[in-house]
Amino acid sequence: MPFQIVVCGSIVPDPLQTLEPVTGPAGPALKNEMMLPAVLDPWAGHALFEAAHLAAQHAGSKVWLVSLGPKAKLQQVMMTVAQKVPFELVAMDGPASGFADSFDTAAVLAEAIRGIAGLDRGRMLLFGGWESASRGAGSTLQMIGERLGITEQFQGVDELRVEADGALQILERVEGGRHQVSRCAAPPAVLGWATGRLPEPRNNPQVGMVNMRLVMPALQRAKAAPLKSVGLCFHSVTLPKQRRETRIVKDMPAGEIAREIVAWIGEE
Amino acid sequence: MERILFLAHVEPDGSLVKAALEALASALALGEVTVGLVGGSVQGAADQIAGCGAMRFLAVEGEAFAQGRYATDAAAGEALCRAAGAELVIAPSTSRWARALPGVACRLGGRVDTHAASIATMNEVPAVTRWFYRQRMEGVLTRSQRPWIVLLEPGCVTAWTGTSGVANVERVAVDVSTTRTTVIGMQAPPADEQTIRPDAKLLFVAGAGWTKKQADGAVHAQEAEKLILGFLHAAKASLGGSKSLVDLSGEGEAVLKCMTHLNQVGQTGSTPRHPKGLSTCCHGEEPHVVGWRFIGERRAINLDANCGWARGKADVLYVSDAFAVMRELNRLLA
Amino acid sequence: MMEVDIACAGFGPATAGFLTTLTRVADLPLQVICYERADDISFGVSGLVTRARGIRASWPELDFSQIPMATPVTTEKLVWLRGTRAVELPYIPPFLHKADGWVLSLGQFLQYAGGQLMGSGLVQIWPGSPVREAIVEDGRVCGLRLQDWDVRAQLTVVGDGPVGAVGRQLDGKRDLHEWALGMKMVVDLRDDVELAAGTVIHTFGYPEPEIFGFLYAHPERVATVGIFVPSWLRDPRRSSYRYLQHFMLHPYLWRYLRGGKLRSWGAKSLQESGRRGDPELVGEGFARIGEGSGSTNVLTGSGVDEAWTTGAQLGEAVLELHRAGKPFTKAKLEAAYVARRRDSWVERDARVAERARDGFHRGMIAGLVGMALAGFTRGKLFIPGRPQPMQRRDRQLADVPCDGQLLVSHQDALLMGGKVQAGPGEDHVKFRDPALCRECATKLCVSMCSGQAIANSHDGGVPAFDREKCVHCGACLWNCEQKNVIFAAGTGGLHSSEN
Repeated sequence: MPFQIVVCGSIVPDPLQTLEPVTGPAGPALKNEMMLPAVLDPWAGHALFEAAHLAAQHAGSKVWLVSLGPKAKLQQVMMTVAQKVPFELVAMDGPASGFADSFDTAAVLAEAIRGIAGLDRGRMLLFGGWESASRGAGSTLQMIGERLGITEQFQGVDELRVEADGALQILERVEGGRHQVSRCAAPPAVLGWATGRLPEPRNNPQVGMVNMRLVMPALQRAKAAPLKSVGLCFHSVTLPKQRRETRIVKDMPAGEIAREIVAWIGEE
Repeated sequence: MERILFLAHVEPDGSLVKAALEALASALALGEVTVGLVGGSVQGAADQIAGCGAMRFLAVEGEAFAQGRYATDAAAGEALCRAAGAELVIAPSTSRWARALPGVACRLGGRVDTHAASIATMNEVPAVTRWFYRQRMEGVLTRSQRPWIVLLEPGCVTAWTGTSGVANVERVAVDVSTTRTTVIGMQAPPADEQTIRPDAKLLFVAGAGWTKKQADGAVHAQEAEKLILGFLHAAKASLGGSKSLVDLSGEGEAVLKCMTHLNQVGQTGSTPRHPKGLSTCCHGEEPHVVGWRFIGERRAINLDANCGWARGKADVLYVSDAFAVMRELNRLLA
Repeated sequence: MMEVDIACAGFGPATAGFLTTLTRVADLPLQVICYERADDISFGVSGLVTRARGIRASWPELDFSQIPMATPVTTEKLVWLRGTRAVELPYIPPFLHKADGWVLSLGQFLQYAGGQLMGSGLVQIWPGSPVREAIVEDGRVCGLRLQDWDVRAQLTVVGDGPVGAVGRQLDGKRDLHEWALGMKMVVDLRDDVELAAGTVIHTFGYPEPEIFGFLYAHPERVATVGIFVPSWLRDPRRSSYRYLQHFMLHPYLWRYLRGGKLRSWGAKSLQESGRRGDPELVGEGFARIGEGSGSTNVLTGSGVDEAWTTGAQLGEAVLELHRAGKPFTKAKLEAAYVARRRDSWVERDARVAERARDGFHRGMIAGLVGMALAGFTRGKLFIPGRPQPMQRRDRQLADVPCDGQLLVSHQDALLMGGKVQAGPGEDHVKFRDPALCRECATKLCVSMCSGQAIANSHDGGVPAFDREKCVHCGACLWNCEQKNVIFAAGTGGLHSSEN
């Protein structure tokens, strides 16, 4: 049975970068956001790779990546992502800020998904990252699902298995390092992925070349999607002061270090 | 005066988790509260908090609501919010609620904020504090839309304690015939392999240095694993790792079998809360260290005296060979 | 295996110039793909002020004001630093003028250029794609070999820089003896500093007579500061990073930098041989552009415009050959590309520069006089000299106290300023013959490594290499006196697009 998988994912600053908030007329933002190198949101990336893996196993399947972000940054990130797995891009030109409201983001994404030609929404799988590395809320996918009428939803997914009868067996992360195992009889379903099980695919120039034929036109067509955030007000966004006075211990024998640590562990 | 609903799910054994009691305390501090419970059997939980002073106790109860499942939890949550006429909904951030409540907010035309570190009254309106960009910056925000659902992070607020009693619970009916999902059960790693202990007093982080060539030019992955697991067992610590180390483990190389993506701290991993943390063989770089935001006292062992831990990220850095120190440590703890 | 019309190794200013020229043809019928090893195309490193002659000639619509951190040159100074003193030379020789030029961030410029190129849909640029080597069959270059893939092409354009794997493969046994290491920082200056955007300061004489330095002011209180450490300055007790810190602390510069915060940091090798390092510019199926082909001009202290221009020249040549239906043979490329290059200002200025710096081997004054002579007489007169091994200097380089903001440890510069990292993979720096390492007492690779990625091993033999600290500058390659370092193309390195 072929799958139609729509993956929602945007960009975040490269995690190595030093981030600072600034306040503008439209609210808080990241300093120099447009200059910071960006990457595909990590868990969304895992969702994309899982989608491609699933599609590869079921002939006739198709993967779309739906992405809301500043067009120029999306284009940059595509230069890396498009080399990984085959997909078709649906791009919208708008903010990818962590301070944007997930409600507004979900509205834009749901609208874009409704506009995908050839997509049977009654049978689709909606994938995405469980949480973003920007807003980190883990609420956008649920709202997109609601707007598209999908009530079978899973979050923190690490595994999806398709059974012989087409049912989906899904593992979700729950408390204490455990997974909840659920069975969903059939799509449509929403899956917010955690890390999954797959390693990051190696760069494949052939995949890149094929993807790019559609990715560039999709970016050129990207509709403007400003987010009008009504009613949300930030009173402050601050960097925590977190510098400690580090005591650096050199030339202490291992045994003595061990004794010190044992004492420290035992302290209340 | 906003109408506040405290919304919690009930565990299979009929109790409320600690995070729920924390959320209750938070809700009570904001004003008058209606309690909403969802579960297979709720009376026990309602009685547990009967003395909290809530105005009403509402519940959605039944076999269909015993387990966490989006369709049924969202329907239950929606029903309770409507029954209570809720404007502000305070709930614990559990995996079950994180799955369903954002959808409820959407259904009701309201908004949701998750991973709230606190919700408190500021200038006479409720304000939520939460972290952005993987715990790198802290924001304080208010909203005018209602209902406003807030999921409160565990471990941020003192749990409610008070008298139990007999609660007068009003059951609310919900139709859930259309769901296609069945919860089959839980899957946990075998007891001796369980390295994630959220309630441990100490987080032990193993970095990529454990699997690098040591002074003798060789890799000692097996001994590394033995030392790490030995320490976890002896100290009843929880195991964390950096992204580089868990990536290695995921590349099929099985360098440290005990390490999976679930152990990752920082970056795309978790931000656990433990009173103490001990880092070993790890550079202490920003993307990983943001995961230490809620670790109290920090110490590190690293051969590199210039690593990130030395620059204000740890309280103590021992410049030493972790293999040697851990051997001694395990010997002392045995 | 894939087949394209043109495959390019490396995305720097030269390849950017090549692709920009090609894409001015709206219906470009050629399939052109560029492979860049860095994780992003914008991690360029260059202390950059440029007259942008070639850039503007080949890209007339370019509006520099669209590019972050760009600003026109407003003031220029040439300063002789000695001890704690500074002498601003009253006269800047015309060949050093940047008067009509721009102060830029190379990373931002390349990001902009790359964005335009990708947006055109006419060419593709793939970062994270290191090229292992050129595919050579029967004396003809047939394409590029990536880590797991072969990409065959009618024309292979080699723009992978002075230490690029393909360029060096084609160099073969040729030994280019003039190198320098460029290391720079981008600094957020303190609020009350008085330094106008577009100020260009070039220095010489400090912390060693042979070290040339610069400070350029960008808009919004941001400055780029850096030095060039030449290959004939060899002392295992000194590192380029230490020199950079001491340079910044010179009172003439410290008055601007004090109270500043490190924003980004990086390093790269510069190939300063100019025409003397001129390799075979073309061959069967390939053409070379940019710094790896000897375009950097050490007299004028510029490389970006020259590199871009050689790329543009090749672009024009390719279009000419393609329109005429001619193949990319060595002879045709010589006629179309090499001839253009030889006939251009790049070549004319390179001849002047050819002997310009030789005087420095005889000492400071001789060097300055030699440069001036060569500059003013357009290369007819110069002071000859050959590189000498350096005398041991008595003066020690003092430790620099760290302030945690701008004066930081070398590792901090990597972590705060360069965001240096590498994903899992193979080491791209290796040592050929362990016996040579065991016998080597100086281990210049260790002291010259820009990222402290090469360290002495416990047994004094083959040094240890940590690819998570490597910024791919290539200093190890040309500092090893035994030519014992294998430096391949690998992913990772700098993650900052401000350099």
